[in-house]
Amino acid sequence: MKRFLIIAGFAAAGIVMVSCNKVRRSPGSAYMPDMAYSVAYETYAPAAERLKQSGAQYNGQPVPGTIARGEMAPYKYKNDSAGYVNSAGVVNPLPALDANQYLEAARLYLINCGICHGAKLDGNGPLYNGGNGPFAAAPRNLVSDPVVTGMADGTMFHSITYGKNTMGSYASQLTTSQRWMIVHYIREKQKAATGGAPKPAVDSAAKAVVDTVKKG
Amino acid sequence: MTGPKLGGVIDKEYYAGDMKKIYNWVYNVNNLVGSDPYYAALKKQYGSIMTQFEKNSLPEKDIDAIFSYVAQEVANNAKPKAPGESTETATSSSQNAVIFGVISLILAVIALILMQVNSNLKKMSDDAEGIMRPEPVPFYRNKVYIAMVAIVFFVVGGYYVTKGAIGLQRQTNYQPEQPIYYSHKVHAGINQINCLYCHGNAWESKHAAIPSVNVCMNCHKAINEYAKGPKLYKENGEEVNGTAEIQKLYDYAGFDPKNAAAWDPSKAKPIEWVKIHNLPDHVYFNHSQHVRAGKVQCQTCHGEITAMDEVKQFSELSMGWCVNCHRQTKVDFNYDDKKGNKFYSIYEKFHNDIKSGKMDSVTVKDIGGLECQKCHY
Repeated sequence: MKRFLIIAGFAAAGIVMVSCNKVRRSPGSAYMPDMAYSVAYETYAPAAERLKQSGAQYNGQPVPGTIARGEMAPYKYKNDSAGYVNSAGVVNPLPALDANQYLEAARLYLINCGICHGAKLDGNGPLYNGGNGPFAAAPRNLVSDPVVTGMADGTMFHSITYGKNTMGSYASQLTTSQRWMIVHYIREKQKAATGGAPKPAVDSAAKAVVDTVKKG
Repeated sequence: MTGPKLGGVIDKEYYAGDMKKIYNWVYNVNNLVGSDPYYAALKKQYGSIMTQFEKNSLPEKDIDAIFSYVAQEVANNAKPKAPGESTETATSSSQNAVIFGVISLILAVIALILMQVNSNLKKMSDDAEGIMRPEPVPFYRNKVYIAMVAIVFFVVGGYYVTKGAIGLQRQTNYQPEQPIYYSHKVHAGINQINCLYCHGNAWESKHAAIPSVNVCMNCHKAINEYAKGPKLYKENGEEVNGTAEIQKLYDYAGFDPKNAAAWDPSKAKPIEWVKIHNLPDHVYFNHSQHVRAGKVQCQTCHGEITAMDEVKQFSELSMGWCVNCHRQTKVDFNYDDKKGNKFYSIYEKFHNDIKSGKMDSVTVKDIGGLECQKCHY
């Protein structure tokens, strides 16, 4: 009997050792966790039942009509075809970028836009990659495509804000002023590509935009 | 291979140690390729030529420096390595430990055998001389043996108990299963999406933030299948169907890929991702302070995220780990150029000390990175 118990004990220990998994799926336990767990609801902490039932979300949207401190007034047009046409008349409220703002705009572009439109704005970012990437539709070439070069600043802003075709809305990732900065940045790059040609007049640009709306 | 190797090029017949020919080549690449048969042959061999440099962007003394570096490297590589030098030193210390361990184990076994032999011989001699002694106790009841085993058990057990106790509430390697099998390797590694595309708040706020469903849908409105990447596996070896995981995202988003135009983003439900990196409530940590002001790479604390399918906690996130980094990390004090942080101009004494050579660099510790109330308040 005693021998049997010893053998059984070793066998149990062996099974425990073998079944030990290296993948750690649990966070483990704490000893006397004084002030370790927040009494208040922490951002991204698992939502308590009561919070879940109330429908509160940790990344809910800001209260409608509120403006973040230091941020410019929100964009006035809605996400519909009339708003798209009207957007051509909106002028970029930001003055031209200085050197530091240009760098910041370039950073924002590379993080948020370059992934599809390419670091060189040639419409060939890593996600498209000449058709080898996962993205099936070719993104617009932002420096040479006439749809973009002829597009009014406001329409470009409208498209970044609400998305266009397969492009999503970037309103949650970029603030209003950051979106206008990126519009400036794209214009600067277009100017550099064409050797400093002047911007097309707003009228013809608006016309081109209306044409594209008609095309669908 | 994009061009001829630089090592030893100066000794070739064509140059024969004449640096002037090298300068001529660097500053007149475009002309020489057409006129000189030697360079024309090289162009034919490699298919392309190098960029021409201006004299003011790459002065002759810089070219000299490059060539002296190349010569140095060639000399270093040609030198036969002395035994135990460079790469071997790292492994030799661990090899030594193993050898010492094996030797002491063998010695211990020999000592045990000798002790047994000794007691047996004693018994035999006692028998021969006719001295009656009580039966010797078997070794597992021998107090000396029991004491030795107890000491070993105490030391080894104590080591693991202490280690386990220190590890309580630390979550290194924590790798929970997430509601959707989201592979950072596919997104940030293969497809090169910037970390800040989804975790943009790391630049601006305390939290790195987990993206809401609409950020996923920016791309996944169009990308509705996983077809082009490598096969995906869970940590237990189970294969993952990437397209089915994207469908899970669509379920949360309320998106029907066949009827994309009808999608209403406001009906989306949040995905309850499991938080991996948990700091105790009594510690303050701010992402933007580290990422934006400190210019720390994400990978410094989070490991090779771009190679992880399922993310796990890379760092210990213990106080020792924080403090160690604050002791070692040097602060970029060059606020004079545009990229530097002008805030550091207030540390006048350090700037003077650097100028006078008293200090060679300033670490986070020096500007208060070890003050208790920096993180605990």
